[in-house]
Amino acid sequence: MKQIVSFTINGTVAEVFVEPWRTLAEVLREELGLTGLKIGCDRGNCGTCTVIMDGKAVRSCLVLVPQAEGKKIVTIEGLSDNGRLHPLQEAFIERFAVQCGFCIPGMILSAKALLDENPNATEKDVRKALKGNLCRCTGYKKIVEAILDARDRMRSAK
Amino acid sequence: MSELSVVGKSVNRLDGLEKVTGKAVFCADITLPQMLHAKVLRSPHPHARIVSIDTSKAEQVPGVKYVATGKDAPNEMYGMVIRDQSVLAKEVVRFIGEPVAAVAADSIATAEEALELIKVEYEPLPAVFDQEIAMSPNPPSVLHPDYLSYPRRDWQPGDPRFNTGLPNAYFHFKIRRGDVEKGFEEADVVMENRFSTQKLHHAALEPHAMIARPEADGGLTVWSARQAIWRLHAELGLVFGIKPSKIRIIAPYIGGGFGCKISIGEEPLTVLLALKTGRPVKLVFTREEVFLHGGSRVPMIIYIKDGVKKDGTLVARQMKCILSSGAYEHDVGIITRNCAFGAVGTYNVPNFKFDSYGVYTNNPPSSALRGFGSTQTVWAIESHMDMIAEKLGMDAAELRRKNILKEGEPNATGEIVHSIGARECLDSIVDYLKLDKKPEMGGNWQIGKGISLGSKYSAAPNIASATVKLSKDGSITVYHSADEMGQGCNTVAAQVAAEEFGISVDNVRVVFADTLNCPFFPGSTSSRTTYFLGNAIRLASMQVKKRLYKLVAWRLGVSDEELEVKGGQIYVRQEPSKKMTIAQAFGAHRDTDGKLVQIDDLVGNDTWVQDYTPEDVETGQIDPRQAEQGKRLTAFYAHTAKGIEVAVNTETGEVKVLRCASANDMGQPINPKMCEQQIEGGMVMGIGGALYEEMQMVDGKVLNPNFTDYKVPTAAIAPSIENMSAIFASAPHKDGPFGAKGFGESSMVGMEPVIANAVYNAVGVRIKDLPITREKIWRELKKRAKQ
Repeated sequence: MKQIVSFTINGTVAEVFVEPWRTLAEVLREELGLTGLKIGCDRGNCGTCTVIMDGKAVRSCLVLVPQAEGKKIVTIEGLSDNGRLHPLQEAFIERFAVQCGFCIPGMILSAKALLDENPNATEKDVRKALKGNLCRCTGYKKIVEAILDARDRMRSAK
Repeated sequence: MSELSVVGKSVNRLDGLEKVTGKAVFCADITLPQMLHAKVLRSPHPHARIVSIDTSKAEQVPGVKYVATGKDAPNEMYGMVIRDQSVLAKEVVRFIGEPVAAVAADSIATAEEALELIKVEYEPLPAVFDQEIAMSPNPPSVLHPDYLSYPRRDWQPGDPRFNTGLPNAYFHFKIRRGDVEKGFEEADVVMENRFSTQKLHHAALEPHAMIARPEADGGLTVWSARQAIWRLHAELGLVFGIKPSKIRIIAPYIGGGFGCKISIGEEPLTVLLALKTGRPVKLVFTREEVFLHGGSRVPMIIYIKDGVKKDGTLVARQMKCILSSGAYEHDVGIITRNCAFGAVGTYNVPNFKFDSYGVYTNNPPSSALRGFGSTQTVWAIESHMDMIAEKLGMDAAELRRKNILKEGEPNATGEIVHSIGARECLDSIVDYLKLDKKPEMGGNWQIGKGISLGSKYSAAPNIASATVKLSKDGSITVYHSADEMGQGCNTVAAQVAAEEFGISVDNVRVVFADTLNCPFFPGSTSSRTTYFLGNAIRLASMQVKKRLYKLVAWRLGVSDEELEVKGGQIYVRQEPSKKMTIAQAFGAHRDTDGKLVQIDDLVGNDTWVQDYTPEDVETGQIDPRQAEQGKRLTAFYAHTAKGIEVAVNTETGEVKVLRCASANDMGQPINPKMCEQQIEGGMVMGIGGALYEEMQMVDGKVLNPNFTDYKVPTAAIAPSIENMSAIFASAPHKDGPFGAKGFGESSMVGMEPVIANAVYNAVGVRIKDLPITREKIWRELKKRAKQ
């Protein structure tokens, strides 16, 4: 039986009429066309489906869509500000943190949730926060470098 | 060579912006009008006869448009070397996971519901899982009794190496150089060991995905996350009897390949459903399906016997490699041959005997994985080099240095060595590790250091084409069919073209991986793309320039040869003030016949052909005269040395990587930061393969087909920023574009043995079977404590 679920997505209220057993990942991709998030394992291990829900990085493949009712959700599509890239996005480009790119939206959102909560995160904090985001291309070094670089950019912007 | 302005510079990746904003399109992101979704019913048996299939209930589910079984499948088989696989199993299934039936429906949920209603009756058959047992003259199961009569691709007809006399061994590759028995007699020390490698999952984060759309003219468009789109193009044409010119394959951005997306998978099945329904059909693998039918590194058993003189000179080496292909050939036929090049690329061995066998087993099919056999042969060789050094009481680096091939020497296949940076790689690693210093860690931790050396060839024969277009505004468009799977081929392509025309990469656009719009490329496999595509783009650029110079030379009153193009201007080399912009050159003017012309663009297309000569089928040797004339068996070798420092817990067997470095010889680096990306990624993938990763197989079943139970290194496990180093030790190649070679695979080569050697250095435990788990180390430590 389909039901109506409404939530705020990237600052805009959205209403979807879907089966309650569908995952948020699926619904965001298929109903709202937000294909920036990816589905790499569909069981919460790989982190490619990461979105920010009420300030926390969550695996949207583990969230059933009714659980998103009334929540504020940010996806990679909502990160840049009027076409201006977020410092994380800039740093990921300039620090060569991007290879195949499949993990990148999830990586950036996990990093954003961390830096929003802890603007002074260390390399160790960053690595801990990324534990649930797998990357098979980079070996993580340049991703961690980019996040630390973005941390500095965000601090100096404040 | 004049100074380079774009090549050799770390310009930002062309795909960076799209990928950080979520705009980059991967295959699973595509939705088409009228599109159906497919799901596949897979065999639960490793070997069985299909007695009956009842699809009647499944067909009645509302929303189901078609249920396909073996009877719908074309008679033509597909495959990489041997065409041994049917689009859907016809009478027999040979591995757990083999497609038996498939449903096309209006939603995934409907397709899944229908799958559960398909009834299949099987009659189990004996199965064989161990490749050594499978290779015996009377194995418990013969997978393909008629494999010799199957059609083959790109191989000399009647090649005797397929006729092994062993029912499951479908290919036997040989190298014979010198007299290996005589060599062992002359040696002061002879050592013999057995090594093995596990079934390793690529863990490319994007699961395989594909969409097939039948076209009104009887043609076909296929989008697929597929490496080597032209191979798929050829196979689909053959299997479905469609004229190749009516087939179009597009590979959008690929979310990691590492070899798992080379061997053709469920595209033929998706096409079958699309043809049956007349609608676009999309199939996206679950992670479990990637484990079952997405390929894996070939498990290999390697017997190695080495003979050395007291001074460390290698006099003889004998290797026998047995490859577990799984139920189908699936690229392992070529790996059976090419793994030998991983064994001959580094050391000078005057007496060399090599035998490798591709063997069918009732396991899910294996495939290429970053190294195409080299990581496995190098695992055995580099472990053995350390064992020999210890036996001789010799420094492990010195033993290696003594035996490294030199420029101009023939290797064990008779191919003349060119562009070998092995020595420089090794020296920089020794320098990095400071081997004379052995730090203490305290507690139950012992520190050990290790080195390894290795190489990865790039396969020949091969050709590659590119098209280059110069537009009126001075910008360039490059059209190519290589696969952008994260390695950065579009950025490399843009840099090469930018260098040719003296412009910045901002003025280059790249159209890629589309068989309708782009010329032939053999696929981004075998570390090939930079070298082959780079050369093709240079040649195509020259075509454009030739035509451009012809267009303006007479107007500037000089000959074509006196002109050069840079920054959107064509000018006379000796008199740079005599010039014309590209817009002027293209603008309305009278040609030499006085005709008024105006043009919008100039297009050039050309093909790079690798100079190649095939090996003798009995000896694996190339004709020495041809070799002297510059003919090659491979395109080039990329060399690497690894260095690592580990801590091993003597109570638990746990291994921690403290720091590591990889020195790589990629010739001239086109984009140094992108080269670092490859090196760092290869090291961490290698750490996973060495210490943690293994597909747990019991009777052909994968017990851990998910990332909960199959451990891939995380950011928390990977070495810290400070403790991971990428070192360049470049030996330019005379045929490479600007001296470049490809090296994506060699970044991983040698990681497993370097860790084994460091573990041995720490606690004296030698593990010969990958992965080097803490349990294996702990058991050896226990055993030793008892003695």
